[in-house]
Formats: sequence, structure tokens, C-alpha cells
Amino acid sequence: MNYPSEWNLRRAIAFFAALGVAVATYIAIADAGGDAPACLAGGSGCQTVADSSYAHVLGVNIAIFGVVGYVLLLASAFFANDAARLGGFLIALGGFGYSIFLTYIEVFKIEAICHWCVASAVLMTVIFLLQATRLIAYGGTDGTAPERA
Amino acid sequence: MSAEDRRTRLLQVAAGAVFLAVAVVLMLIVVNASSDDGGDTNLEGAGEVNRSLRGIPQQALLLGDPEAPVELVEFGDLQCPACAAYTEEILPPIIESHVRQGQVKLAFRNFTIIGPDSLDAGAAAVAAGAQGKGWNFIEIFYGNQGRENAGYAADEAFLEAVAKASGVKDLDQWDEDRTKFRAKVEETTSEAESLGLTGTPSFAIRGPNTDGLEIVGTPNSTAALEEAIEEAR
Repeated sequence: MNYPSEWNLRRAIAFFAALGVAVATYIAIADAGGDAPACLAGGSGCQTVADSSYAHVLGVNIAIFGVVGYVLLLASAFFANDAARLGGFLIALGGFGYSIFLTYIEVFKIEAICHWCVASAVLMTVIFLLQATRLIAYGGTDGTAPERA
Repeated sequence: MSAEDRRTRLLQVAAGAVFLAVAVVLMLIVVNASSDDGGDTNLEGAGEVNRSLRGIPQQALLLGDPEAPVELVEFGDLQCPACAAYTEEILPPIIESHVRQGQVKLAFRNFTIIGPDSLDAGAAAVAAGAQGKGWNFIEIFYGNQGRENAGYAADEAFLEAVAKASGVKDLDQWDEDRTKFRAKVEETTSEAESLGLTGTPSFAIRGPNTDGLEIVGTPNSTAALEEAIEEAR
């Protein structure tokens, strides 16, 4: 099977992770901007989601975890070694799993959809697929090795 | 270790992690699906609410000594999750150390922004207030909130259960008042709108040091709310 070169996978991961950093940072700042969570008149899904009990874990806005996760994913794209491949994959796996859970919560529990959260979930899914491809195709090779057959 | 061994090891770790992730996500979903389906009349925390409010005067939806120098007004929506969190986390120390001591009176005014059911719930709270149990009603309601606009907030059985748990003595009277007080809820909602408030909970304060009723917004901590009280005093 022909995989894209690891260089291309890394570039793609870096690109989507950078977008993820932007999205998560936006959500984190938007959340920190209000002096306290409030229910807004005529508020959109985002407000409902942000006000829900699921928006914070241990008192920390989950967007902060998102920022950290995307930064680590971005970092993983800068190295072509097994640690970066496995680390990147594991972080993406965690992010992807958590995104599935949050999307489930949005649809069935909070019954509100926040498009920023959806954007993050899509990015995380793409990054997860890229990281998985990278690990399967290049795991165990050294950085300069040509792509595996 | 050969490259092939390293690769095998990596993929084993990855596969293990995938199984773990699938298990964790499924578990989280199952746990969340089975919790808080609501709709029943087993009210949580009623005893605790009634104990914590015991001995504090109540008139209509005013908690505390009517002669208290500072009046803190909360504009809230009974269906609003942020209001519930606020009532559970930020207000109790204020009630214990300022309201109970007679320095501050705390007024709840309905500002119905979540949906039409909030009107039913709000009127039921005002009706409980007419029997001196308004804050008990509000706090027990908050402790048992369901999903926004899912119908629970206008559900007769739920409202009656909350009223009963609050200690409302004359349920027939309460039931009658509920209809009457819908106008009151609409009135306070209009008041909130005319004050330019856009969300709940929003606070306003009146005291010797304020220029009438001053908006304080939504202070994000007990300390911030206390500061507002200090400034008004």
C-alpha cells in the first residue's frame, strides 16, 4: 500500500493542529471573557454548551485542554522519530475519543450544537487519521528512512 | 532491537491504547446516559435547602430582614443552569454571613429567558413566596433542574413536588396563586429588560452608597459579590 510520505503527513498534521490551536484558543478566550458563565437571552448553542456542566473538568475549561492537546500535536509534527509518532498518535486518540464523547453529549444531553466544538471535533478526527497513518506507515523506521512498502 | 521489533512494539502499544480509548468513551457515554434522566419526584437536597434557610425571614421572594440596609437583587431564570450553579456555589456564604446577619436582603426576580416553561416555574416560585417558602422553592428547583425546555419546568407534578418539599402549607392556595402570579413574572422580566440585562443570573444592588439600583452584572466569585456589597454599604 502506498502511503503519503511522512514529510507530507507531518506537514498536514502541523497545518490541522495549528488550526486546532486557533479554534481552541478562541473558545478558551471567549469563555474567559465573560465575568461568569451566564445564560444569554436568545443565546445560541454555543452559550448553552459553554454553560453546561460538561464545559469544565476540575474547574478548568475543556478548551484549555484542547489548546494544550493541539500544541502537543503540533509539536509531534516537528520530529520524525517513534516517540513523536506514538506520542502524537496517543494524544490524537485521546482527543478524538473525547471529541466523540463531547459530540454525543452535545447532541443527546445538552441538545445544543456549538459550531466551534464541531470544528474542533472535525479537526481532531482528521489529525487522528493522519497520526494513525503515520504510525502504521512509519512506526519503527528512523527519520530518514524511505517510505515503507 | 530491530526496526521491525520496534514497529511491532509501537503498534501493540497503539492497539492497546485504542482498546482502552474505546472502553473509556463507551463507559463515559453509558454513565452519562443513565444519570439524571429526571422526571421523577424524588427531589434531591430538599432537606439540606430547608435546613440552610431555616430562621431567615422571607417575604415574597425576598430573603432576609426587610430592614437590611443593602438589597441585592438577583435576576434569574429557574431553568438556567448557570443560575443553579451560582445558587449552589457562590450565594451560600453570602446568605450565611450577610443575609442571616441582617445586613443584606436578597431578592429574587424572575427574568425568563430560556423558554416559556420558565414562566410556569417562575410563577410557581412566586406563589411559594406568598407562603414564605419562595427561596426554598427556588433552591430545591435548582437542585433538581432538568434539561432546558424539556417540559419538566412546567410539569404540574414536578412543580407541586417542589412546592411540597419547600414546605408550602396550603397547596390549593399555591395552585390558585400560580396563575395569578404569571403577571408578576412577566413584570420582573420586563424590568430586567428595561435595565438592559441580557443574561442570567444578573445582579443589581441598592444600598446607602449606591445611586438607586445599580447593576453589578454577574460577579464570578463570592469575594467579588462581597466586594459589591461592601461598596454599596
